[in-house]
Amino acid sequence: MEGSENPEEALLIPEDQYLTSGVHIGTQQKSADMKPFIYKIRTDGLYVLDIQKTDDRIRGAGKFLARYEPEQILVVAARQYGQKPAKVFARTIGAKIFAGRFVPGTLTNPDLPMFTEPDIIVVTDPAADQQALKEALNVGIPIIGLCDANNETKFVDFIIPTNNKGRRALAMIYWLLTRQVLKERGTLKDLSGFELAVEDFEATL
Amino acid sequence: MPDNRCSSCGVVMQRKGTAIFKCPACGEGTIGRCTQCRDQSVPYKCEACGFEGP
Repeated sequence: MEGSENPEEALLIPEDQYLTSGVHIGTQQKSADMKPFIYKIRTDGLYVLDIQKTDDRIRGAGKFLARYEPEQILVVAARQYGQKPAKVFARTIGAKIFAGRFVPGTLTNPDLPMFTEPDIIVVTDPAADQQALKEALNVGIPIIGLCDANNETKFVDFIIPTNNKGRRALAMIYWLLTRQVLKERGTLKDLSGFELAVEDFEATL
Repeated sequence: MPDNRCSSCGVVMQRKGTAIFKCPACGEGTIGRCTQCRDQSVPYKCEACGFEGP
């Protein structure tokens, strides 16, 4: 699984791999915030996301996250299919993970045992991870969000447009993100040296 | 633009809910976002590289 890496126009992986994992499949509703990332509307009413923009944003997010200390990154995933990919992503890059219910006060209440003070947060779905989003807003840290065609992007500082509901789409996005962060950190000399497979990120049915 | 101003609207940022971070693309320019611009998802632009977010 390898794409050419140098030219700006080239994708990180071949286009058909993006398409088979369904990263580009949006929803039947679109939000005004996500309009710039929508490529077209299918005849069945589904909005299709622009793969090139998703790819660009993964590169950007890789650079962005690589500038932070690994333990200062917090990954949040409340959505069932997002939990495993988020866990594998966090474990591989050395970040903190909050999969499942986000306990209110995790970022704001120092009396809680799970209290943490990250420098940046990655949310799998801004709608499902609303509590984490609000607390990140209160403590003033930048927010990276995986946003689908129907998501509002309020409070999100860096949007990664993607299907954030599909099992394989989430696995693919987190796999790409992991690989990109490691590459930007210099841990991976080249992308082909990444040993994990997309299947390792996939949640079980 | 001074570091404590919002990159989108130019307001001086004082209240909670604001964020200051290095440009995701180049890492050189500083991006400031006030609560209102974050709430309304107002686009910002890096002065160093021209990256447009969010």
